[in-house]
Amino acid sequence: MDLLHYLGIGFSVALQPVNLFYCFIGVFIGTLIGVLPGIGPVGAMSLLLPVTFQSTPEAAIIMLAGIYYGAMYGGSTTSILVNIPGEAASVVTCLDGYQMARQGRAGPALGIAAFGSFIAGTLSILGLMLLAPPLSQIAIRFGPPEYFTLMVLGLTILIYLAHGSMPKALIMACLGIVLGLIGLDSINARPRFTFDRIELIDGVGLVPIVMGLFGISEVLLNIERTTEREIFQTKLKGLLPTGKDWKESAGPIGRGSLLGFFLGILPGGGAVISSFLSYALEKRLSRRPERFGKGAIEGVAGPEAANNAATGGAFIPLLTLGIPPNVIMAMLLGAFMIHGVTPGPLMMKQNPGLFWGVITSMYIGNLMLLILNLPLIGLWVQVLKVPYKILFPLILLFCLIGVYSVSNSVFDIYVMIVFGVVGYLMKKFEYEGAPLVLAFVLGPLLENNLRKSLIMSQGSFAIFFTRPLAAASLIIALMLLISPLIPWLRQKREEIPKEEVS
Amino acid sequence: MPRREAEDESTERMKYRDIISALFWAALGLAVAWGGYRLEIGTLHEPGSGFMFFWVGLIMVGLSLSILIQALRRPGVAHELKEVFWTEIRVAKILAVLLALTLYAYLFTYLGFILSTFLLLVFLFKAVEPQTWVKAILAAIITTLSAYGIFNLWLGSQLPKGLLGLG
Repeated sequence: MDLLHYLGIGFSVALQPVNLFYCFIGVFIGTLIGVLPGIGPVGAMSLLLPVTFQSTPEAAIIMLAGIYYGAMYGGSTTSILVNIPGEAASVVTCLDGYQMARQGRAGPALGIAAFGSFIAGTLSILGLMLLAPPLSQIAIRFGPPEYFTLMVLGLTILIYLAHGSMPKALIMACLGIVLGLIGLDSINARPRFTFDRIELIDGVGLVPIVMGLFGISEVLLNIERTTEREIFQTKLKGLLPTGKDWKESAGPIGRGSLLGFFLGILPGGGAVISSFLSYALEKRLSRRPERFGKGAIEGVAGPEAANNAATGGAFIPLLTLGIPPNVIMAMLLGAFMIHGVTPGPLMMKQNPGLFWGVITSMYIGNLMLLILNLPLIGLWVQVLKVPYKILFPLILLFCLIGVYSVSNSVFDIYVMIVFGVVGYLMKKFEYEGAPLVLAFVLGPLLENNLRKSLIMSQGSFAIFFTRPLAAASLIIALMLLISPLIPWLRQKREEIPKEEVS
Repeated sequence: MPRREAEDESTERMKYRDIISALFWAALGLAVAWGGYRLEIGTLHEPGSGFMFFWVGLIMVGLSLSILIQALRRPGVAHELKEVFWTEIRVAKILAVLLALTLYAYLFTYLGFILSTFLLLVFLFKAVEPQTWVKAILAAIITTLSAYGIFNLWLGSQLPKGLLGLG
């Protein structure tokens, strides 16, 4: 049994005390930032990226991955107790979770969210283990045209799923590509758009851009209006869901896991979309749909399972193709690169310890989260009570230190401040940051593979249409791009996230 | 459906902001394309350094024109910019925070981590939400020292020593 053999390798890495420690730190911080408003998993990961410089690549990725799925857990706590989602993937959990809390059932709501997340997280890791190896085998045969078109497809799906106007999301992607290409040309080492600044020769850093767009801008938006948050005063008793709760939740958790896992593989907010779709699905399947929105436990169990399963799915394109499907995976790609590891089809062979170690650590991390979340729920509630006027200087300080310690360069602090303003204005003018960041990471890869393909084909674009996978990816991407021009399809796209929820 | 109505209102309000952003992106796209042209576009057989810049810049121009056209077609609400953008917003506070961050970056290596961070934190604790001096200074001291302990001593970040030679 090859799989068992690899699992053995994985556990031997993940169970090393130092890796267990990093895993714990990761899920702990993940839960914390999931609970705290104003800083999301992306910001926290960029903040902790410099911390991992001295560690082994295994420890670094294990911790950063822990932040990601830990935040999915933490986000549900605020949704249920305060009716404020800790992050986007927990928005739907507010609908029934908060109602359950108001009816004095906060305990079972938090409990089923934690158990549902645990089960779904575990199932999606199993899926990842089963799917990643065969996909890597196929991906080894891909050439530049396949990579180029797959990245185009990935970006297109992300843009398609972005909220609001598609031209705006496309412009953000273009801007991301341009920013990503600043620095030395990878083919002839010519400086491009560096404006004679030494700091720009290596390109603009991912961390200052992400910290600016997702950290600083969020703080700016929050301080422009003071919001007082009220925590629902309730005694937390009996976190364990009853037998009836379990019976009602089993189906939603199973379906949510499947939905989340497969949508997670696709680029673009898999966790968010899958939580919305799971809610819609459960409401449609329910014999008494009128209970939804009034404290139905299925409305908590399904979406919470889905958003956790999506995190496992999202690792597949990164680990097998080296293509990140979302901003968080783009951050992880950056972390891999810093440690001199290139994720992709060869990683499983060249670095089995890292590959399987990260996967099995997620299993351990999920277990830790279950332990962290159930007994420590009181602690997280206390964290929620920290007022924003204390919190925001701390978030700003963390951003400043985080950005500075990546490169020891003050220039990067300026870059972060500029992107903080850009991010703030983007919110005001209704532009989304995700396409920008993903395109920023993919930009150099896109250009490189495009230029290589054209050199291969001697200048003919036919190379993208004569190779079956490349052609299929491009055709799907084109269909998605022109679909908003067809009114019927446009309506469908706009309905996806909102369907059945209102 | 109230949600739908709210959205219509919001898209109407976006008219002037969309026009402004579209013009901005069009200008930026042109600049990028021009920069790409100067870097050498190359041929399809052998694309040059400016190839991607040139085409992505042109695509940006095209996209911004489509945003512009869509915005021009929408009915606008008078005084949209002033109402939506500047009322109820504490612009002064945002500018103050941005200025403080920029000053911090400027003085960071000169004053050193401890001193500049302390000053920044006192300002942030005090300026945005009213708080007593004692509380603000105490909080700033505790935060600065903990951050110094965690990042410099424990995690080994190289934070600047600066004027006081601390750090």
